[in-house]
Amino acid sequence: MTMTDQSARTRIRSAVRWFDTRHRGPETWAYALNRITGLVLVAYLYIHLAVLSLLVRGPASYDTFVDVVRSPVFLSFDLVLIAGWLIHALNGLRLTVIGLGFGVRAQRMMLVGATVTGSVVLVVMGLLLFGG
Amino acid sequence: MIDIGTQRTVSEFQQVQRRSSTWLWQAGTGVLLLFLLTLHMIANHFIVEGGLRDYAQTVEYLRTPVIFVIEHLFLLTVTIHAMLGIRAVLFDFGLAPATEHRITVAISGLGAITVAYGVWLLWAVAF
Repeated sequence: MTMTDQSARTRIRSAVRWFDTRHRGPETWAYALNRITGLVLVAYLYIHLAVLSLLVRGPASYDTFVDVVRSPVFLSFDLVLIAGWLIHALNGLRLTVIGLGFGVRAQRMMLVGATVTGSVVLVVMGLLLFGG
Repeated sequence: MIDIGTQRTVSEFQQVQRRSSTWLWQAGTGVLLLFLLTLHMIANHFIVEGGLRDYAQTVEYLRTPVIFVIEHLFLLTVTIHAMLGIRAVLFDFGLAPATEHRITVAISGLGAITVAYGVWLLWAVAF
């Protein structure tokens, strides 16, 4: 193995360290989940922009799309996306608070609080989405 | 120049300072997004019949001056937050400073293109 191979392996290992949650606490799981949801949300940002480009083509094009995505199947996808957003937002808020030096000892409690809050908000959003 | 107390060079201090400021930007835009995205979700999905505005409703919505400004702010905030996030993930690879600089330039470019496209889209739809 050459020095370059070794260095590349070390880099990859250090980059995916956050993803390796073996023998780690729930905080590491939350951190990994935060990054995964972040990357998914970035991908969604570009999908969203691409879809909104249909607006430039006029009402016929956009309204046909709207009719399709108003179906329960697509609304379910929306709910999954909202779940990802809630995980990323609430966990990001927790990491920000800790990063600023507050509540470092209470981080597990904050994680429980974020999970409970996120679950309640997700149920409410689900009811609004499917009931509306 | 080396700081005797910490054995860090001035450029290392500058690097740490830069990283702290990008972290603060990431956190700040994240908190702002919490409000903007909640507003976006309520206005575009939860108070609209069927969960999504049709073409006419979207145009009417974007022509409201306050909404037009808020949507610009939302686009800018979400793009900055997303770009800094990708940058942080890539920087975890422990790259050389020159490569990190190239990544920063590339991501700044991608962010600028994203915002420019989004602004063009907002203006094209609203007017």
